[in-house]
Amino acid sequence: MIDYLIFGTIIGLLFHGIHRKVIARIQGRPGPPIWQEILHTLKFSFKQTWIPKTASQTLFVWVVLVAIGIWSAALIVLVTEGSILLLFGIYMLHKIVEHGMGLSSGSPYGKFGAIRSVMSAASELPLFATVGAIYLFTGSLLLTDILAWQSAHGPLLIFAFPAAVALYVVILSKMHYSPFAIIESKEIVSGNMTEHFGVWRAGLEVAFALKTYVLLFAFVLLFLGPLPLWLVLAVMLLLLLSLSFICAFCPMLSPYDTVTMQSLTMGIVAVYIVIVGVILA
Amino acid sequence: MFELPVTTIEGPEIFVIEFGDIVNYFTVYTAALFTFALLFTILVIISRPERQVDIAFGGDAFYTKDVTPAQMKFQRFMALACGLATLGAMMSGDVFNFTLFTSMVGITNIGIVAAYKYKHVLNAAFQYGIVAMIATVPLFGSAAIILATTGTLSMWELFGSTIAVPLIAKIFLVLGVMGEGMAPFYVAKAEITRAPGAPYVLMIHVSSLLLFLRVVEIVISM
Repeated sequence: MIDYLIFGTIIGLLFHGIHRKVIARIQGRPGPPIWQEILHTLKFSFKQTWIPKTASQTLFVWVVLVAIGIWSAALIVLVTEGSILLLFGIYMLHKIVEHGMGLSSGSPYGKFGAIRSVMSAASELPLFATVGAIYLFTGSLLLTDILAWQSAHGPLLIFAFPAAVALYVVILSKMHYSPFAIIESKEIVSGNMTEHFGVWRAGLEVAFALKTYVLLFAFVLLFLGPLPLWLVLAVMLLLLLSLSFICAFCPMLSPYDTVTMQSLTMGIVAVYIVIVGVILA
Repeated sequence: MFELPVTTIEGPEIFVIEFGDIVNYFTVYTAALFTFALLFTILVIISRPERQVDIAFGGDAFYTKDVTPAQMKFQRFMALACGLATLGAMMSGDVFNFTLFTSMVGITNIGIVAAYKYKHVLNAAFQYGIVAMIATVPLFGSAAIILATTGTLSMWELFGSTIAVPLIAKIFLVLGVMGEGMAPFYVAKAEITRAPGAPYVLMIHVSSLLLFLRVVEIVISM
């Protein structure tokens, strides 16, 4: 299993580098090399590290470990083809990491990031709608069954397209530089990550790389079905490029607009579920 | 021996404790949630609060807030009780027990917020208390409807295909859980971050999210 985690981390970091590069090129800048995020993580691992005097020391460190732990668990769920309800749970627990990360330092910028994280709880709602729609079609939340259903009937992308859009919005919400990334926007320095530097930041970079890898991987498995690894990676890259385009073109939304957009997505998918599950059933 | 009727939602069962018809159990899903709740309950025990830095707007001044030992003791006690209630809710196999643990989470959440004697935070605690109290009506109402229509509150029975739980009971259960700690009743939640005591305040968030994840599993399985 450790090989999956290392592979996922490296690919995730590479994806973050590609994301930055694509955004930069669209905006007419040369941008960093695509392996920049790998270098960043290595650099942070060896930089001087301490804990702010005002911080809740245990929580400050704990959230970093929890972040790595939950996304490692998420990858294991995908690889072992477990329940996507657990994946949904892990995604929601990530909210606690964001919140704890911001509050633990005592910094006002971290606190604002944490408050925005609480406000943007709507980002979890489209994922809930996705899980509901998938269950409606496949009658199971186990990834094994979902993959088997797609092998027999075809990709869920065709049958449950609105649910795929909802998951796409969820992934977009968690990308760096996304129009929904209000918790780390620059007017509050780095938001909830402001005070985590050195080896703590390296740990968070690893966790976030795993998160990106897991979310893109989950999208491919849930909506395109079982594919060879090289094709999975190619589709993940295409998805990432589309997300980078959106991030490059869209300005950062205000916190309330973010919540409105995510709630609207959830509402549209909820209506779709009612139509498919109740009216047409 | 208890056998979970539905394994396509949360994975296979791992461990079961029977108390008559009340069956507490772990599946892969609930065990993961339980572990997470346990981790944060331990965190509450071993960690000390942060000292928040506040900016005085209109100048360069800033000041740090101190947490008094008395306040910390009370917040920690409430957070610990909240953690224990969450642990109970994660492994409960009985709808009534689940609603009891949920309401206890609501009560302790109010306690965590109300520990800090600051006007805005206390206002938030008051509003939060009202929402939590109102939410007990649909919460326990759902358990009552389930018992009245099916004759049992055991998830052991309710998860089976032979018993149909009314949709209104499921909706009430979700509404009740949301009112005890979840969005969209965030009237208090943005305000509570004014209060220092991050490990304890975080417990509010942990318990709310875990309860929501558990109720999703229960409602889909029924």
